[in-house]
Amino acid sequence: MFSRRPVLVEIVTAAVLIAVPFVLPALDAAPNTVNRILVWGLFGIGFDILFGYTGLLSFGQSAFYGTGGFVAAYLLTRAGFPYVVLALVIGMVAAAAVGYLIGLLALRRTGIYFAMITVAIAEIFFFVEFNPLSEWTGGENGLPGVPTPRFDLGFATLNFSSGWSLYPFLAFCFFVGIVIALRIVRSPVGVILTAIRENPLRAAAVGHNVQAYKLTAFVIAAAYAGFAGGLLGVLQGFMPPDAFMFETSGQLIMQTAIGGRGTLFGPLVGAGVWLFLQDFLQATLKLGAAWKLVLGLVFVLLVCFLRQGIIGGIRDLIALSRGKVQAPAEPAQEAAPVAAAPVAPMASRHAAGEGRQGPILQATGLTKRYGGVVANEGIDFTVQHGELRGIIGPNGAGKTTFFKMLTCEVPPSSGSIVFEGRDITGMSIIDVCQLGLTKSYQVNQLFNRLTVRENLTIAALAELRGKFKLDLFGRLANIAGLEEQVEHTLQLVNLGARTDTPVSQLAYGEKRRLEIGLALASSPSLLLLDEPLAGMSPRERVETVRLLKSIAQGRTMIVIDHDMDALFELAERITVLQEGRVLVEGTPDEIKGNALVQDAYLGGVHEEELA
Amino acid sequence: MLTWSNFLSQLFNGLAQGALLALISSGLTIIYGTLGVLNLAHGAMFMLGGYAGYLAFQATGSFVIAVIAGALFMLVVGVVMERVVIRHFYARPHEDQLLVTFGLSIVFVELVRFFFSSDSKTVPAPAALSGITSLGVMFYPTYRLAVVGIVAVALLVLFIVLYKTRLGMIVRAGIEDAVMVDSLGIDVYRVFMVVFGIGAMAAGFAGIVNAPVVSLSPDMGEAILVQTFVVVVIGGVGSFPGAVIGGLIAGEIISLTSMVNPGYAYVMLFAAMTLVLLVRPRGLFGARGRE
Amino acid sequence: MQDRKSGSFIDGRRRFIRTGIGVAGGLALPAGFVSEAVAADQPPIGTWPAGVSGNSVFIGISVPRTGTYAVQGEDELKGYQLAIEHINAGHPLIKQISPKTTKGVLGKELKYGVADSAAKPNDAIQAQQRFITENKAIMITGGTSSAVAVALNKLAQREKVLFVCGISGSNDTTGKDCVRYGVRQNFYGETAANAIGPALLKAYGKNKKAAFMTPDYTYGHTVTKSVNDFLTKNGGWQMVTNQVSPLGAPDFSSYLTNIANSGAEFLINVNWGHDAVLSTQQAKQFGLLPKMKLVIPYQIPFLAREVGAETTEGVFAATDFWWTLQDRYPLAKMFVEEFEKKYSYKPEWGAENAYMEFALWAEAVEHAGTFYPPDVIKSYESPRKLNSVVGEVQWRSADHQLIRPVVIVKGKAPKDMKNKEDYWEVVEVVPGAGLMQKPDAFGCNLGSYT
Repeated sequence: MFSRRPVLVEIVTAAVLIAVPFVLPALDAAPNTVNRILVWGLFGIGFDILFGYTGLLSFGQSAFYGTGGFVAAYLLTRAGFPYVVLALVIGMVAAAAVGYLIGLLALRRTGIYFAMITVAIAEIFFFVEFNPLSEWTGGENGLPGVPTPRFDLGFATLNFSSGWSLYPFLAFCFFVGIVIALRIVRSPVGVILTAIRENPLRAAAVGHNVQAYKLTAFVIAAAYAGFAGGLLGVLQGFMPPDAFMFETSGQLIMQTAIGGRGTLFGPLVGAGVWLFLQDFLQATLKLGAAWKLVLGLVFVLLVCFLRQGIIGGIRDLIALSRGKVQAPAEPAQEAAPVAAAPVAPMASRHAAGEGRQGPILQATGLTKRYGGVVANEGIDFTVQHGELRGIIGPNGAGKTTFFKMLTCEVPPSSGSIVFEGRDITGMSIIDVCQLGLTKSYQVNQLFNRLTVRENLTIAALAELRGKFKLDLFGRLANIAGLEEQVEHTLQLVNLGARTDTPVSQLAYGEKRRLEIGLALASSPSLLLLDEPLAGMSPRERVETVRLLKSIAQGRTMIVIDHDMDALFELAERITVLQEGRVLVEGTPDEIKGNALVQDAYLGGVHEEELA
Repeated sequence: MLTWSNFLSQLFNGLAQGALLALISSGLTIIYGTLGVLNLAHGAMFMLGGYAGYLAFQATGSFVIAVIAGALFMLVVGVVMERVVIRHFYARPHEDQLLVTFGLSIVFVELVRFFFSSDSKTVPAPAALSGITSLGVMFYPTYRLAVVGIVAVALLVLFIVLYKTRLGMIVRAGIEDAVMVDSLGIDVYRVFMVVFGIGAMAAGFAGIVNAPVVSLSPDMGEAILVQTFVVVVIGGVGSFPGAVIGGLIAGEIISLTSMVNPGYAYVMLFAAMTLVLLVRPRGLFGARGRE
Repeated sequence: MQDRKSGSFIDGRRRFIRTGIGVAGGLALPAGFVSEAVAADQPPIGTWPAGVSGNSVFIGISVPRTGTYAVQGEDELKGYQLAIEHINAGHPLIKQISPKTTKGVLGKELKYGVADSAAKPNDAIQAQQRFITENKAIMITGGTSSAVAVALNKLAQREKVLFVCGISGSNDTTGKDCVRYGVRQNFYGETAANAIGPALLKAYGKNKKAAFMTPDYTYGHTVTKSVNDFLTKNGGWQMVTNQVSPLGAPDFSSYLTNIANSGAEFLINVNWGHDAVLSTQQAKQFGLLPKMKLVIPYQIPFLAREVGAETTEGVFAATDFWWTLQDRYPLAKMFVEEFEKKYSYKPEWGAENAYMEFALWAEAVEHAGTFYPPDVIKSYESPRKLNSVVGEVQWRSADHQLIRPVVIVKGKAPKDMKNKEDYWEVVEVVPGAGLMQKPDAFGCNLGSYT
């Protein structure tokens, strides 16, 4: 993702595009086919950003392809608009606007339901194009007579008509499209999109406005689709209604998967394979209509075995030949012993710092009911600034639910929460994180296919940029303080040796540390830790406790755990929950000797207790 | 045109269409509910069942054998598909599952097109059920009436299997919580295989039963697939009663809209689905939390 | 608008070639893009002279081989293939239509390529674009859908390659969507309506109620309009409902239910291809036929064979050709015999249409003495009488529509059929001239020659 030679891709692309008209005719390639490949490739760039990078599988791209295409075609034919490129841009803007509106609707659901809504959208648009709007769109006929662009430069006239003469224009459009897409993908927004793909829950929990970013990706995809649709009309001299058909969306998806998703060039490669095979199988092998069967089989095989498509396969081959093993390895055992040099505490950026007094968090009457089950009942809970509070309780006591309410991951059934003097009841988890309250999870919620550094960057970005910022063309390097914050967090959780390792290859203990690191990177003033020691070996526990002590400086922490020895060592005060209510609160010593607590854990048998 | 007689006629039409949709959607919903896989090849299975029945009919001349052959063939196809392909995708993200079933649907359609060409094939209705029946308000093809009856019986059989047998109980438990079923020591993968087979069989059975009504063509599955989505969404994922009620509702939406303007019928259906997805995503009978 | 655009198009292209420089600078243009020997007075246009430089010329044919119109497309293709075979051999039948033909066209052999359009304009355009750029097709043809015809009209005008329209029933093809580079042979909505209208009124009388079934695209809408206009203006008939269905609809029950409840006495089915077969079969299943009388204003090849003679008995239809015309026209007899000899069945009008227009194209080129497109077009436009399988015909220069008769047929009862293809009885052959609209009535504006 973070390419060390960012301009290389652009240069190679330009070189290839320029070479094509010299090389391909010798190979008997039809110029029209090459032009079509370019148009599909451009259409697919936007889709790849939506699907490959953000993980949203939409079957409705044909709706925007058609919208852009028909708006442009209408302007150029019926309305007699003379400027081709400007019409294309207007078509693109129209498609993006429609994409925005549709996105507001469709993105309210995720996964399969999202996919189903997009299918419905595609079908509805096709119908609308055909019937009610047939005055404008020509219905089944489409809009014939779309002109090709010509530019009057004074000293020469550039007329791009068809075949190889239209190629330079299309190649240029594609090049511009890919350059823009590369910038977007390398920008902070691009990084956040991949985070959303990997773990949308966590992306929100570290403070990013996931909905807004998804909508951004959706609109970008719609814009690319709209421009490509306009180009289709120009290419054929005719804007066909099939642009709106569901099959168009399906073909785009298949081409992207065949070429390789998440690569930006995947759709281009996929289109090349598709169109080449279509010609080759029909003309040379005389297979007739069976070419689509072959393509279907190729597609299924690729989905099964080459998850990253052809480009991914090539990448793996290259890496394999270089001797690096690319397949997810066994998570490495922890290499060096954890020698935590004391690291200076990271200043928490939020309003609270050292020196503030009084309660940082006050929960009153917090209750949560799930149907008839009461998970938490009437909890009153206050934590002072700078405190290290522990929470213990037997299973089913409602500890995790309590944390979820505090971070506003779930809304309470009744009660209120005041953080830093502000009532945060009913806020979203995104806003709460931005205010400085966040938690690390009991079950790791990491961005699995990204590296350690990338994980931390995502969390830090939310802190430095706020919950939503549309810096599509920004550079990560230009974000002040990002590098330091990530480095600092790496040091704090002692993962400096593993910065460029993908999460899937980390050992369990390292993953737990990263989990804490993610929460830390948001610079919270109040950090909640849900069973940070879960599943750890004794040695790892010792290290983690040391880590927790070091990060406790300068911030307030609340820790849930079952390891009472560790908690008693760490915490200044302990709250005990049982069956959704606060049982008792006190210092570790008070809690140790409390009969009620022993009852709660052991079920009433006190005689067996050992010191 | 909005007249009483037209209204009643279209109401009845909707019942006929809805019954078919109900059967096909039951298959899709139990697959999705149990396995968590949205089978985009379901429409293709509907089509394949029809063609299998067609072949059997060509060979034997008996409609009954054709129906049995179609259903059994799809049972086998479903089981094989689950074992060979779907099984390897349970751990993979939803999108990959969608992609592979989508790809398989294309393969199925093109296979049929390759062997049978795109021309439509007809399977005539059995002589006993052909002809026209007068229903007072209108004339209705006897066979379409019979389809309602046949589908009702099939749904009843499915109901008995799901609710009155041990297998059915396991399947319904699997729909609730497959992990739990696994923990109880029941081979949950075998359950998945059976469920996929049953779902495919329901679609295939519908395919051959419907053949005398609309004649077979390789592309007939695509339209059905999208309508089945709508039914599953309206009725609620994983719910058998939801599929039945949803199917009937969908059938009525199509036919009653046709009274005014048949062109808008399918758009109304999609609009209804989008509305449900936005307002009450779990549908009429679905369990909350499956969004 | 079209004039100016295409004119400046070519200007720019000439300049483009002359300067010999593309945007990329020094782009070595692949062979074929730059023309060979450029005649001093006739600069290259379209695929001329590149496509005629050898001893054969290429024809691009796109027909639906899959989809709703597949059966009719295959029939049409056979007509093309027979015509090409005859032209290449210099067959006597061709010589009757195109007297100057010796062997091939202007001595050059005809080669051709076939692509499947599936009745989709987009697929047809893709295929024909390839035929033009790869194979230098000197003429493109084919299609059964008017949507395809309109799209190919525009392509032809843009690429400056003659398009000889396949089957197209819409008024628009030589109406508002006409082009200088397109010609059409067959009958269409307006002529069908004006031919069958009087026959219907004579047979059934005035003031009847009719339900229309219309496929939702240009062909359907224009034919329904023409037929309805005639019947309402001249016979006081009333359209009680118009059920518009999408191309390829599998189930017509909703539409048929509406029709059943409309009080119609006549079912005028404008659907075509497989849609016509299905809708008619289902109309029967729903008891609408034979209670209502069926009318097919634009006949479909093989309809009678697929729905059965019991259903087409007594049904009036308007068509381009029926094989029993062999008793009236000697050329028809020759054509039917030759076709049956080669393919073992009697030709329907799709094949006849293909053969006719091909033969007429050969005639136009021979008459012009050159393949140079503007001259061929002017040859089409020069008023002269031509021979055909339906007697004497003539091209109308104002819109490139052939003036030719429309054949009214009526379905025979099964017991009256003398052989298993004897489905229709020719009732009347209506001369074309009186059936056509005024040349500019539909907004035809032919474009430029170059």
